[in-house]
Amino acid sequence: MEMNYSTINGTSRGYKILMVFLGAMVGVFITSFLVAYLKGQQVWGVSNIIPWGQLITFYIYFIGLSAGAIIISSLSYVFRKETYEPIGRLAVFMGILLMIGAMIFVMVDLGRPEKAWRLFMYFYLNNMSSLFAINSIFYTGYITLMLIYLWLIFEGKKQLAVVLGTIDVLWAIAVHMGTGAIFGLIGNREIFFSPIKPFEFLMAALTSGTSLIILIAVVTFKLTRRLIHEELIFSLSRLLRSIILILLVTVFVDKLTHLYFPNREATLYLLTGDYWWIFWIFQIGMGIGFPLFLLTWSKTKKSIRWVIIAALSVVLGVFGERAALVIPGTAHPQPFFPGKMEGPWGEPAIFPITFWESLLSLSIVSLVVLLFVIGLRYLEILPEGRAEGKS
Amino acid sequence: MRGRKKDSGEKKNDLQGFRLTRRKFLKLTAIAGLSAGTFGIDKVSPEAFATSSFPSGSRGRWIPTSCLNCSSRCGISVKVEHGRVVQIKGNRLSLVSEGQICPRGHIGLQVLYDPERIFTPLKRSQPKKGKGIDPQWKPISWDQAIEEITRKLRSLRESHIPHHLLLFSGLNSRSHEDLILRFAEAYGTPNLVSGEGLDDEAERAGRWMGDGHFEPFVYDLDHTHYILSFGADLIESAPPVARWLRKWGKIRRERSIRAKVVDIQPRYSLTASKSDEWIPIHPGTDAALAMGIAHVILKEGLFEEEFIKRWTVGFEPYRELVLKEYRPESVSKITGIPAEVIYRVAREFGQTRPALAIGGKGALAWPGGSYTSYAIHCLNALVGSLDTPGGVLYQEFPEYRALPKIEGDEIGRKGLEQVPIDFRRTELFPVARVVTNQIPKSLREGKPYPIEMAIGFNSNFMMTAPGSGEWGEALKRIPFYVHISPFVSEMAQFADILLPATTYLEEWGYEHSSPGGGFVEVRIKQPVMKPMGESKSIGDILFLLAERIPGTVTNAFRRIGSSVEEFVRFRTSSFVGWEEFLKKGVWRGPGYEYRKYSRIFQTPSRKFEFLSGNLKMLQNGKKKMMGQAAPLMPCYTKVKWLGEERQYPLLLFPYQPLLTFENGSQNYPWAQEIFLPMQGVGWASPAEINPETAAQLNLKDRDRIWIESPFGKIQNSVKLSEGVPPNLVCIPLGQGHTSYGRWQKGIGCNPNEIIGVDFDRLSGQSTFFNTRIKLYKA
Amino acid sequence: MPKWGMVIDLDKCVGCQACVIACKEENNVPHGSPEEQRSRREIFWHKMIAVTRGKYPHFRVELLPMPCMQCDHPPCVTVCPAKATFRREDGIIMQSYRRCIGCKYCMVACPYGARSFNYKAQEGKPYHHQDEPPDRKSWEPWPFPTRTQGVVEKCTFCFHRIDQGLREGKKIGIEVVPACVEACPSQARTFGDLDDPQSPVTKLLASRASFRLREELSTHPKVIYLSR
Ligand SMILES: Nc1nc2c(c(=O)[nH]1)N[C@H]1C(S)=C(S)[C@@H](COP(=O)(O)OP(=O)(O)OC[C@H]3O[C@@H](n4cnc5c(=O)[nH]c(N)nc54)[C@H](O)[C@@H]3O)O[C@H]1N2
Ligand SMILES: Nc1nc2c(c(=O)[nH]1)N[C@H]1C(S)=C(S)[C@@H](COP(=O)(O)OP(=O)(O)OC[C@H]3O[C@@H](n4cnc5c(=O)[nH]c(N)nc54)[C@H](O)[C@@H]3O)O[C@H]1N2
Ligand code: SF4
Ligand code: SF4
Ligand code: SF4
Ligand code: SF4
Ligand code: SF4
Ligand SMILES: [Mo]
Repeated sequence: MEMNYSTINGTSRGYKILMVFLGAMVGVFITSFLVAYLKGQQVWGVSNIIPWGQLITFYIYFIGLSAGAIIISSLSYVFRKETYEPIGRLAVFMGILLMIGAMIFVMVDLGRPEKAWRLFMYFYLNNMSSLFAINSIFYTGYITLMLIYLWLIFEGKKQLAVVLGTIDVLWAIAVHMGTGAIFGLIGNREIFFSPIKPFEFLMAALTSGTSLIILIAVVTFKLTRRLIHEELIFSLSRLLRSIILILLVTVFVDKLTHLYFPNREATLYLLTGDYWWIFWIFQIGMGIGFPLFLLTWSKTKKSIRWVIIAALSVVLGVFGERAALVIPGTAHPQPFFPGKMEGPWGEPAIFPITFWESLLSLSIVSLVVLLFVIGLRYLEILPEGRAEGKS
Repeated sequence: MRGRKKDSGEKKNDLQGFRLTRRKFLKLTAIAGLSAGTFGIDKVSPEAFATSSFPSGSRGRWIPTSCLNCSSRCGISVKVEHGRVVQIKGNRLSLVSEGQICPRGHIGLQVLYDPERIFTPLKRSQPKKGKGIDPQWKPISWDQAIEEITRKLRSLRESHIPHHLLLFSGLNSRSHEDLILRFAEAYGTPNLVSGEGLDDEAERAGRWMGDGHFEPFVYDLDHTHYILSFGADLIESAPPVARWLRKWGKIRRERSIRAKVVDIQPRYSLTASKSDEWIPIHPGTDAALAMGIAHVILKEGLFEEEFIKRWTVGFEPYRELVLKEYRPESVSKITGIPAEVIYRVAREFGQTRPALAIGGKGALAWPGGSYTSYAIHCLNALVGSLDTPGGVLYQEFPEYRALPKIEGDEIGRKGLEQVPIDFRRTELFPVARVVTNQIPKSLREGKPYPIEMAIGFNSNFMMTAPGSGEWGEALKRIPFYVHISPFVSEMAQFADILLPATTYLEEWGYEHSSPGGGFVEVRIKQPVMKPMGESKSIGDILFLLAERIPGTVTNAFRRIGSSVEEFVRFRTSSFVGWEEFLKKGVWRGPGYEYRKYSRIFQTPSRKFEFLSGNLKMLQNGKKKMMGQAAPLMPCYTKVKWLGEERQYPLLLFPYQPLLTFENGSQNYPWAQEIFLPMQGVGWASPAEINPETAAQLNLKDRDRIWIESPFGKIQNSVKLSEGVPPNLVCIPLGQGHTSYGRWQKGIGCNPNEIIGVDFDRLSGQSTFFNTRIKLYKA
Repeated sequence: MPKWGMVIDLDKCVGCQACVIACKEENNVPHGSPEEQRSRREIFWHKMIAVTRGKYPHFRVELLPMPCMQCDHPPCVTVCPAKATFRREDGIIMQSYRRCIGCKYCMVACPYGARSFNYKAQEGKPYHHQDEPPDRKSWEPWPFPTRTQGVVEKCTFCFHRIDQGLREGKKIGIEVVPACVEACPSQARTFGDLDDPQSPVTKLLASRASFRLREELSTHPKVIYLSR
């Protein structure tokens, strides 16, 4: 059965308020960016000990969401699972926007954002052993592929879409594993260094991507008064449950590897130090334990509402997972010399949540939402309400 | 500071007869010539200076001059690029520190360009004086300032009370010290008060008891094989700092025999960490330990018999005393050091030649510190480490061209005859040359006479003297106070007129070290740039003042030139050509000659005395300055603590980290950010306590606390450290400034605010470590 | 090609930190403030760390002067996307402010905390050296020593001294040494060619037990410590 898609008409009051708000956030974005650009990153929480902060956390988080979304979209366009058709376009579109968001995050995090072009001088000015340089190939390729993919879908070129979708999925996997490798290959940071870090990234991407799609689908469909196919959601939630399980195993193996042998100081710090709560409450509790429980327990797994709560929990939890990597990963002092180092060099650093950095992060998120809402207004992304209503 | 002003051949109010005059002494040395035992100090050729290790192609010029960030006064080389001073390093030709400087030497850049320097004369418009009261400075012209100051100076002389003028001298160049001294003498006031009473007077007095030299000890670091250090922070503060830093590397790894260093002090200091052995000792018990070590040496016959027989007197009574009263077992109870350790260290010390025993302020700035210094001096004598390679040396001083005699008038002569207001060399302080910390009491009580006017030359006793609060009270009482310094220091806050002085990089002068390396070395101080703003060098200000005090003062100064530059030229012309001096920056005398036993001992017996004849003379002299009961041999007396143990269970323990600028100013970010390397922190002066103590008091790292003594309380933060014994609280000096400077104001605390005023009575040395305190959470 | 290295004798070192200050003096490295120490944003090309062990009275502190270790296998270079930090042929790990985009990846990857970021525009000081005239042969590091906000910086082994010294035909390690080596009052530091069997550094290394920091990471630091 052919599915019809439509735009939203954007006449409702809610839509207008949302647009005004999001428009204002663009102003906030520009301001907070300029403040940091002119005054320097001293207005943020980053330091010589914790060089990467909120923005990098969002950056890897968004890349994960994007990759997750693309992989989910493949269910519809590559594997031709019809159940997933209503969210197919949505997923691809989100994949693109999230990736753009991720790029904005990483660009504004640069100390000299105007030199960002230097990241894209493949092979010529770049050092190709740097994962940032490698990833810049992945990222540009990825965005290009996604755009073509979306275009093919819009054009209804299904055969080509299958081919491109396949490449795109593989590419998305590479993108995200590459992002994981930014951390996983850093041998001097105990918390980062792990061969399965790329894989863990991928799994986290899938859980968060799937959950985000569940959330966005439900929210947009609801707000635009479209009916949503319950089976779609439940099917996604079963998928989600399996990936969370894999993620759990991955995280377990990763931490076990780090804890088993005595050089476990930094990992112990992660589990029990200043940021224990990010790991236990966000990463493990909200990202894995709680949703797994909701999606397994017979009473809750059959309820749309609980599935949504589980998805929300995963989305927040995986953000925590990213934060638990970026911040405690560098906060713990590096053991330059055996013994207790005195003074600041021997103490874990604390990452302060600062006004301008948070504002910048939030405004970039808003920017992505803005693009999304505009997209819905002008592109036929959502399935037609009535068509959906039939089933 | 160390040898702050006394070493110029000119000083009159020195202890006459305590020693040969330096000039005679030098002549003797010169005649004896370069006989046996001189060591090669000429191995650095002048070319070494030309090949700076920064490639010469770079722009800029290196100018040799001297550092004055502490009393070591090292020779430095300063790089000037495009009229700006950009780099400082050691002058290769200076051998006291073998061309090296300490880290503070480099920070001269931030001293010179301190944004908080003052550039015009200032006059206060707020009549009320006090700590924290804004003086409301108004800029005035130099002319007006000098006129107002000299008007008052003239009027004191006219009223025949020149001795009602009080002069404070902080850390100043030798040349400026000479000028200040000349000013005081010509004007007719005996009240020239330097910081030496806070410094090493006990050390000098102890030395004087043994060999008659009222001077700090000088050590032959190049050749020694064993160092036993009592409370001297050899690589943090022991003067001359840069020399120690340099020689440390040398004696450890640049010779075939590595010197062993044993550090005896209660806290684990930087020196302790770098020494071979750290022996924690109960505070204030070093004399007992020194005597205990002597006991083992005497008992086991480890002393240098030859030397003792020929060149010492009083050995028998000394031996008897030591053997009877200082058994290591009983010393162990006093000092808390196991008897085995005392035996072992004593044997090492007695069997290794040459070996050195060194006493630092930590051991000596106590009541009875002179005797501790004497006890340590005796250890060196026992093992024959006097005037030998690797032993205690006798610093030689330059023979500057003599200054024309001051033709004093009646007013001046009468003034000079008055008892100085610090009661030096009275029954109160029998051998003291200056009793810095007696001043507040004298000022407050108006005894022996009131002070009408005071001039402070670069001093800041408000920070550095124990009971610093009393200084505030006292300074308030001076009707007219003039302060001269480059910055608005704590003491400057009390000034009626504040004159902007240049820093050491903008002025002329000459320097020599005492203690130095034994041999004579004179270093030039020449301006590397024009004085900033309207600032003037202290010396030039003195010339200006003198010009307007007609009579003896004007005459005294007219005859030595019209500016410091001329003065320096005049004084040094007796031994070095001007052009050469300007170019090299350093002039060195002949090599040091060892074993001059027949002429170095300035004691009644002309030998080293284990039973002090010098003291005995004081006891029996006309003035009867010392009671008959006073001991004449080294001895240990139990510490008298300030404060009740029950109420104040802990001991306050200040120390001087390497990056303390002699406590004067600390407005230097380079020093501040790495202030305490052992604790890994900067911008602070935390109170270090043992974790056990902390647990008892329920304190954690970084807690804010009150530190209370019977004399007041201050706030500070806590740092736990295993290097501190359980009953001590260690606080670095240098912080706690309440005046000038965004990089120092409000950082840390100044322990001197709550330290009690007490003295080593013999020498007038202020004590620093015998105040009891308690801690509680703020 | 020489391979420059530095040997620090911990037995001679007196923990004075002249090296720390001399480096700032030589390279216009900005000073910090109490606030920057708290927020860990101070810039040090050369730092000093204290490592403690034991309990009173059996207590010990080891002070370690730490410039950039000038790793022979430098992770910072591996991760830098912009070739802003790179290995010169003589083994010096350089930093080019012109190329650095400020991604801070190198800071994450440096095992020795040797790198600092410019979190603000740094104040000029009257005592700062002015930029050296550019040397066309090695254009990369210029302008030097001026840097802007937003770039990463670190110890350069005082490459400018070495380059100039070589141009003038001086003996590196004897006549010309880095600023921290020159300033070390106890002369605990030695600089020279690790590949030259006659250089002072190789001779020293042959004479005593030595170690490098975090050797297990195989970064092969060219800053080598002589044990006490
Ligand atoms: N509790 C306690 N207190 C102590 C000690 C202790 O161990 N414990 N130690 C004591 C000892 S030993 C001493 S010697 C005293 C030292 O203390 P003081 O004798 O008071 O000496 P400073 O205050 O160091 O004097 C230096 C002054 O020179 C000024 N100055 C700095 N640089 C320059 C310059 O380039 N040119 C000019 N013209 N002026 C400059 C500074 O502003 C400062 O005011 O402290 C004593 N205080
Ligand atoms: N960096 C720096 N160097 C300086 C100065 C400075 O201010 N800063 N000032 C200069 C001046 S003016 C002077 S006088 C000298 C002084 O230099 P030092 O003679 O070395 O005196 P302090 O620095 O006070 O160090 C004394 C040490 O003795 C220890 N101590 C305290 N009480 C006792 C005790 O009862 N017994 C023993 N055995 N040890 C004890 C303390 O722990 C402290 O570490 O330094 C000079 N050099
Ligand atoms: S030891 Fe004193 S005089 Fe010498 S360089 Fe250091 S601060 Fe200057
Ligand atoms: S120490 Fe750090 S900055 Fe220096 S070369 Fe090694 S990895 Fe690079
Ligand atoms: S911050 Fe600069 S030097 Fe460091 S990795 Fe990024 S571009 Fe390279
Ligand atoms: S080698 Fe040069 S840049 Fe490196 S720490 Fe030493 S002085 Fe600084
Ligand atoms: S300058 Fe030399 S002695 Fe001083 S801390 Fe540095 S390496 Fe050690
Ligand atoms: Mo002193």
